[in-house]
Amino acid sequence: MKRIRKGGRSATRLITSLAIVLGLGLSTAACTSDGGGTDGGSGSGEPQSGGDVTVLLDAGFAGGWATGLDPATSNTTGANLPQNSAIFGGLFTLEADADGSNARIEPNQAESYEWSEDGLTLTVTLRDGITFTDGTDMNAEAVVWNWIRLLNSGSTGAPRLQLDTTGEAPDLSDEFMDSLWAALPEDVDEATVMGHLAAIQATGDLTVQMKLLAVDGSLVNGFPASALNLIASPSAYAEAGGEEFSLMPVGAGPFIITSNSMSDRLELERNPDYFKDGLPYLDAINFQAVGGDQVAYQTLLAGQGDIIEGLSAVTLIQEAEGNPDVAVYPGVPTSPYVVQLNTRVPPFDDIKAREAIYYATDFSAINEGLFKGDGEMSQSFTASGGLFWNPEVEGYREYDLDKAKALVDEMGGLTVTLGTTDIVTARSVNTALQTQWKEAGIDVEITAQPLGDVINDFLGGQWQAMLQTAGAWDPSVGIGVGVRFGSTSPFSGAPLPAEEGGTTELDDLLAAAVSTIDPDERKMYYDEIAKFISDEAYAPFGMAFTPAQVVRQGVHGPGLDEPIPALAVNEGVLYDRVWVESD
Amino acid sequence: MTDTRTVDESTTSIRTEAPAGFLGRMAGSPLLRLIARRVLIAIPLLFAISVLVFALLEAMPGDVAQQQAGMDATPEEVEAVRKRLGLDRPPVERYLSWLGGFVTGDLGRSSVSGQPVATLLGERMAVTMELVLLAFAVSLLIAVPVALLAARKPGGIFDRIVMVMSMTLLAVPNYVLALLLVLVFAVMLRTLPAIGYVPIDEGLWANLRSVILPVLALGVPIACFYTRFLRGDLVEQLNSADYIDTARAKGVAPWKILWSHAFRNSSFGLLTLVGLNIGGLVGGTIIIEQIFAMPGMGMMMLQGAMSRDVAVVQICVFIFAAVAVFANLFVDVMYAVLDPRIRYGSR
Repeated sequence: MKRIRKGGRSATRLITSLAIVLGLGLSTAACTSDGGGTDGGSGSGEPQSGGDVTVLLDAGFAGGWATGLDPATSNTTGANLPQNSAIFGGLFTLEADADGSNARIEPNQAESYEWSEDGLTLTVTLRDGITFTDGTDMNAEAVVWNWIRLLNSGSTGAPRLQLDTTGEAPDLSDEFMDSLWAALPEDVDEATVMGHLAAIQATGDLTVQMKLLAVDGSLVNGFPASALNLIASPSAYAEAGGEEFSLMPVGAGPFIITSNSMSDRLELERNPDYFKDGLPYLDAINFQAVGGDQVAYQTLLAGQGDIIEGLSAVTLIQEAEGNPDVAVYPGVPTSPYVVQLNTRVPPFDDIKAREAIYYATDFSAINEGLFKGDGEMSQSFTASGGLFWNPEVEGYREYDLDKAKALVDEMGGLTVTLGTTDIVTARSVNTALQTQWKEAGIDVEITAQPLGDVINDFLGGQWQAMLQTAGAWDPSVGIGVGVRFGSTSPFSGAPLPAEEGGTTELDDLLAAAVSTIDPDERKMYYDEIAKFISDEAYAPFGMAFTPAQVVRQGVHGPGLDEPIPALAVNEGVLYDRVWVESD
Repeated sequence: MTDTRTVDESTTSIRTEAPAGFLGRMAGSPLLRLIARRVLIAIPLLFAISVLVFALLEAMPGDVAQQQAGMDATPEEVEAVRKRLGLDRPPVERYLSWLGGFVTGDLGRSSVSGQPVATLLGERMAVTMELVLLAFAVSLLIAVPVALLAARKPGGIFDRIVMVMSMTLLAVPNYVLALLLVLVFAVMLRTLPAIGYVPIDEGLWANLRSVILPVLALGVPIACFYTRFLRGDLVEQLNSADYIDTARAKGVAPWKILWSHAFRNSSFGLLTLVGLNIGGLVGGTIIIEQIFAMPGMGMMMLQGAMSRDVAVVQICVFIFAAVAVFANLFVDVMYAVLDPRIRYGSR
């Protein structure tokens, strides 16, 4: 997930980062900072109603919604969490304690969820009395309508569920079926849809059941970043039609869209019938796409924005920390950098070569040099914000130049091509790695390419080493540990199974980690996975650096001054509880 | 002059053979013949550009379908995207299909949003055209008077200041200039918006306020370039041209010599520069629109390139190239209008 974001941002970064030094110096002078910046903790009293905010989003990531905002057809749902939070709210939300700890999934529009004893049936119960902003009921039938559309409308962001489609679809009303067929593509496979209707059923006015073929312990954890979480009004769709609905979808969230200029500006006003009394606090919220961190920061300083979601330029974050007009809230990291080593081709089919890389890599020095020590060091596929964090993996090979040199000598030399996505930060990390590895006698060629080319390199299978990020809040959601290390993933360099169609020991561990809904059991498996990856030296892990939320003074809310771990890249902000201090 | 007279004689004979009436007179016009000739040259040129653009996009590394499907898409999903985008068809077939659509006015659909490219273009082109036209206007409004003033006393204080300032501003890339302008006028003075575009139907002043900074970021470097060029040409003319000496000997006022004689001759060179600059200026909007969050063609092309939206990138590049081609055609025509010797092919 992070790679997609970064790749999309590369052009912006290339342009703006060149100007950072100049802009930074001048903006520092302009703001006449007295060094009294803020960092966490609101201390601002009770929330107040009223006011509005403009959220500045990177045009290359969350600020792009070219495929619209209909959850079933959008290809950018994972990036558009801010907009979706405001429009739809969500069945579940990721919440945390005020200091960012104890992150957990909590029912939001859902009242509760329950797994069957065998872990194969998930029952979601909705809160009573929620209405979409067109006045119709948000009920179980609406959820089924949305989920079936999501699975059959061609969105590349649709979740891959192992549904049990063997049963019979229930008798559904003609009205429902007509509404569903009208909202599906003309070439949809009818049998597939009926299979999905067998697996996903409304068992009451407010209860929905999802039947699975295999236990999926990460399913509910993945909801907040998935379109499954976003329930839209079937009636509004019928009235507006697909194209208009994609532009102005109707949900039951805290805000209602009033204007949408795709991938440019989205304007919303308060939903007066929101199901939570007294919320949302804000009267209006606007989302504005901007061209990168430097532009976003200057726009904030110019008073045209109130919130920058996910500022990642370290120099700008430090500048913002010294500016009394803004508040900076560092995120809780989940996704560390990792150097994936391709064990399927030389030289990394030899464990000695992989060990040499581990011993030659000093991510701590890179963290100090490039991230001013703000990154959190990790020895596995998640950081402190993620579930199942494992701060120290037993036997992890740490930086030891002498051992690296000895291994390189023993092998008679080592030549490596290290690739990454063409973005400033990743290229800088690669250059630092090249320097470190050369000290150990490793001959290193570094490359940085657009995301599409990096994907092609992965698909071609002939890459040697690739700097990426790994992990998510739940390691099995999104581009988590399975995508980076599962043998069937095209983005993995871990060994292939001995026989075609078989599995490796690591595959079995990865599967076992989601085959239970017991968190303790899952934690045990992820510890084993971390140890396995470390023992086999598949990939040295580095610092996890999470973009900061930068807001003007007086803006508060969960995900801003009350940190919530990032599901994948940026923190999620719960906009129904964002508020601004009145003057 | 001899050549011109000869051509005049030949055209007279053509005129007598042309059909009578307005159309006939138009057809016999040397200027129209020149325009027709240039347009006929432009057509194959644009065709060649369209082939080149298509070939370049085709040769770009990376799998468009994989990129659009996303990193965690299955091979089946990637194939479905490939089919939906028509990428399973041979390149020549796809090009001919695109060309056929283009000729008949069907620009296709964005592979990302599914919207007709023509609709997207319509919304965006007005923004970019406003930026470009205003930037040209600003650049000329700055360059001409400043160059005239500087050329009046070469080596004087004003001339030196102009030279130093123009060289300094020329050395600053326009995206840095854009950020500096934002810093001064939006962050420090809070007089102009840092980002955003207000359509003209929401008020002329609001519209102008929203474009002042991007127009300056685009226009000022060009103004510096024109100033230096025009000032140099004027000084050369004033120092060495016989007709200037003659005018001085006749007692013509210095300002009249500068404006009516020297500038008139120098304007040909300036016109050439304007033609050459148009392509670059339109291209410059890609960065400027990004920085100022202006929903124009430059932003559309950048977003299209990042998402590998071939239909969008193709038409944007084609339009940018076409603007450059037609700008040069316009310059040629203007030469002919201003100088009859060119109209009759004698220069």
